[in-house]
Amino acid sequence: MAKHETPLLDQLETGPWPSFVSDLKQQAEVRAKNEKGVEFQIPQDCVDDLLGVLELSFKHGRTHWKHGGIVGVFGYGGGVIGRYCDQPQAFPGVEHFHTMRVNQPAGKFYKTDYLKSLTELWDFRGSGVTNMHGATGDIILLGTTTPQLEEVFWTLTHDMNQDLGGSGSNLRTPADCLGQSRCEYACYDTNALVYFLTNEYQDELHRPAFPYKFKFKLDGCPNCCVASIARSDMSFIGTWKDDIRIDQDAVNKYVENDPAYPANAGAHKGKDWGPFDIEKEVTGLCPTKCMKFENKKLFIDNANCTRCMHCINVMPRALKVGKETGCSILVGAKAPILDGAQMGSLLVPFVEVNPDNDYEAITEVIENVWDWWMEEGKNRERLGELIMRQGFQKLLEVTGIDPMPQHVAYPRTNPYIFWKEDEVTGGWERDVEEYRKHHQR
Amino acid sequence: MAFISTGYNPDKPMENRITDIGPKDHNEFYPPVIAKNKGKWSHHEILEPGVLVHVADSGDEVYTVRCGGARLMSTTHVNEICEIADKHCDGYVRFTTRNNIEFMVDSKDKVEPLKNDLASRKFEGGSFKFPIGGTGAGVTNIVHTQGWIHCHTPATDASGTVKATMDELFSDFQQMRLPAQLRVSMACCLNMCGAVHCSDIAILGYHRKPPMLDHEYLDKVCEIPLAVSACPTAAIKPAKQTLANGTEVKSVAVKNERCMYCGNCYTMCPSMPLADAEGDGIVLMAGGKVSNRISDPKFSKVVVAFLPNEMPRWPSMTDAINKMVNAYSNGANKYERLGDWAERIGWEKFFEVCELPFTHHLIDDFRQQAYMSWRQSTQFKF
Amino acid sequence: MSELLENTEAAKKAVVDWLTKKSKSKTKFYIKDFYKIFPDDKPRAIKKVVNKMVETGELEFWSSGSTTMYGLKGAGIQHSSEGEE
Repeated sequence: MAKHETPLLDQLETGPWPSFVSDLKQQAEVRAKNEKGVEFQIPQDCVDDLLGVLELSFKHGRTHWKHGGIVGVFGYGGGVIGRYCDQPQAFPGVEHFHTMRVNQPAGKFYKTDYLKSLTELWDFRGSGVTNMHGATGDIILLGTTTPQLEEVFWTLTHDMNQDLGGSGSNLRTPADCLGQSRCEYACYDTNALVYFLTNEYQDELHRPAFPYKFKFKLDGCPNCCVASIARSDMSFIGTWKDDIRIDQDAVNKYVENDPAYPANAGAHKGKDWGPFDIEKEVTGLCPTKCMKFENKKLFIDNANCTRCMHCINVMPRALKVGKETGCSILVGAKAPILDGAQMGSLLVPFVEVNPDNDYEAITEVIENVWDWWMEEGKNRERLGELIMRQGFQKLLEVTGIDPMPQHVAYPRTNPYIFWKEDEVTGGWERDVEEYRKHHQR
Repeated sequence: MAFISTGYNPDKPMENRITDIGPKDHNEFYPPVIAKNKGKWSHHEILEPGVLVHVADSGDEVYTVRCGGARLMSTTHVNEICEIADKHCDGYVRFTTRNNIEFMVDSKDKVEPLKNDLASRKFEGGSFKFPIGGTGAGVTNIVHTQGWIHCHTPATDASGTVKATMDELFSDFQQMRLPAQLRVSMACCLNMCGAVHCSDIAILGYHRKPPMLDHEYLDKVCEIPLAVSACPTAAIKPAKQTLANGTEVKSVAVKNERCMYCGNCYTMCPSMPLADAEGDGIVLMAGGKVSNRISDPKFSKVVVAFLPNEMPRWPSMTDAINKMVNAYSNGANKYERLGDWAERIGWEKFFEVCELPFTHHLIDDFRQQAYMSWRQSTQFKF
Repeated sequence: MSELLENTEAAKKAVVDWLTKKSKSKTKFYIKDFYKIFPDDKPRAIKKVVNKMVETGELEFWSSGSTTMYGLKGAGIQHSSEGEE
């Protein structure tokens, strides 16, 4: 018997998509029965109360949660977010209901023994409600009380060799696509680099040092499956410098509509789009028109290719990314608040991704950018906003990167160039008397 | 409910403390076929909706069955995922960036039993626990935020709007009949934890009323300078206020016309709540993308300025989304993303074919970049 | 690094004094506020010192989820307002 009536939420139990309401109800029941004999460290009926407070929000059209707070684990400025219910008398089980962020593994691969130890811990010391995963990438443990925070952290670090993720004015938990682990498009090992960066910058992840949040996201190729270009202050997007590798026999298999060679790896199988037409679907859609198919041969003018991935996506068995691979670094992407959304801007067109020297070409860029932002960024100013305020030229100056046409979509449309004094021959100090010798007043 | 200690001593928090150890090493979690063939994959194919095969240079194959997940998951549900992974996948499983669950097996004969098992599991209320799909030219899982389940500034619910939307779009989750992939995202306030600003279709919760001021309590439960400095548009200033009983108290004043309803003040000061049943609701955006494929990544555009919160299933919202998906599905070319299609036919035609009204709210008036979105051309369609 | 920041005890005292002086009007501060106490030092050096003070118990963090601030341990209104301690 449910503790609270939930007539509105009940209507979200029907329909085919997995119902979070059904899941929460099942969880409330499991806790109520407690067949495993768990010595619950937070109220046994907290999930009932969570359903109850959510039903109340559905009724009111308003949230019933309040602010963050002091709560955290000792010495860490992130990883825990305080949460308090504004109806504690009605829902005592969720009066204090804090979130913990657990740093997810690269590529979000898991072994079940690990997941089971995590669920066991969270049943024991928390609500047993999670997000797999949060928007930044962490495993989110949703709802526990303050005294449990250190205990959960202790078990995570001592027994599971597992640390918390980031929140607040910290480096946020870096996130990646699955990369070379299972994708032929990946131009570098995103899992290895995200693991390295996360460990290298543990201090920045746990102890605030920044004006505001800072996100790294790593995409293995320009398809950008983790959306790094739109939502990370610094995005690392795999790319290549040499030629797309072509298997001409395989190209012709596609052209011949061989069933083992479906266009776009079979992504369009649900509708009859007619037979595959390489001119219409590949060469004709190439944004730079740098390719042609003649006499059963595909030709790519690689010098004019912008590596958009379309042809490779359409014919993955015939075309492969180049062999001289690395990544592009883009900076400053963010959601709209405050001055509108920003897309990442290209800072480094190509950098090697080299684990043998601890990715020094990448960490150098990161640290130069951080030094500038820590010094100049205003409170709660994202990197993208600082770049807007002080200019892209300033960003190049502090990172020691030479300007190049790749940095712009097009050159400026106004001539209001702020010349530096040392760029103008003779400087700005001039003798007006000398001038007047030749120019009357 | 006796407190059970791990050994942590609150008086000596640094004693035996372990910190800064980072995440688990992913190498421990790779299925053997992944570990063996990493970096040496030849190609892949989507065999049917939700089922992929990746073929390695070595000839090894890994078959992946992708299922939708609700993101909000109980440990009971996660344990069930583990049970399935133990039964079919030697104890390995992974999650995708878009909250899908992927079960991988290393030979084709293991696929059917896995699929049948997944498809057979339903919640008591009747919904699928593990619907198979989310691949290719279809709708995949919606990435979203917390909403009313756990956040203090949402203008709508996240899990509820997502469930309502995915129920409507479910057939396109399990099919691949669209011109290209269609990414739907959801964020429950303009802080956009989920960064939904570059999605084919974005659902955004939005407040429309500035905070209320609880003058009597404000100075008692909040620090006024913190509330003032929390405001990103400098709309809040300290002000003395007179209560109904004539008492003068320290409090704040809000310049309402500068308020953008972000809720940052409420974060610092619970005496400044802004949630409101009539004020809050949904903004729909469309036409964004993050991929560099064919065209540049682009932002989503606001196409519906406001829809009320209609609990529990938000019918006006799902109706507008359905109209967009249908018009896109009927009108776009193969490989054309929703935003590319809208640009090709022109946004004036987009509103026509999607049967969405165009109102003054959709014309940008926010600072300088607004100008870039106005039409500076005589090329338009009637 | 400046002499002030190098001398741990003096640096700690400067931070505590500064926060105490401000504590009448507010109790939570951004990292940038500490830059004013050590005008000759780099942000990275300053954050090391103040973060160390969290570990030694003089300061504590306050997080809104999106922003982290610093304050003297136990100071401030919200600390006690939820019936926690």
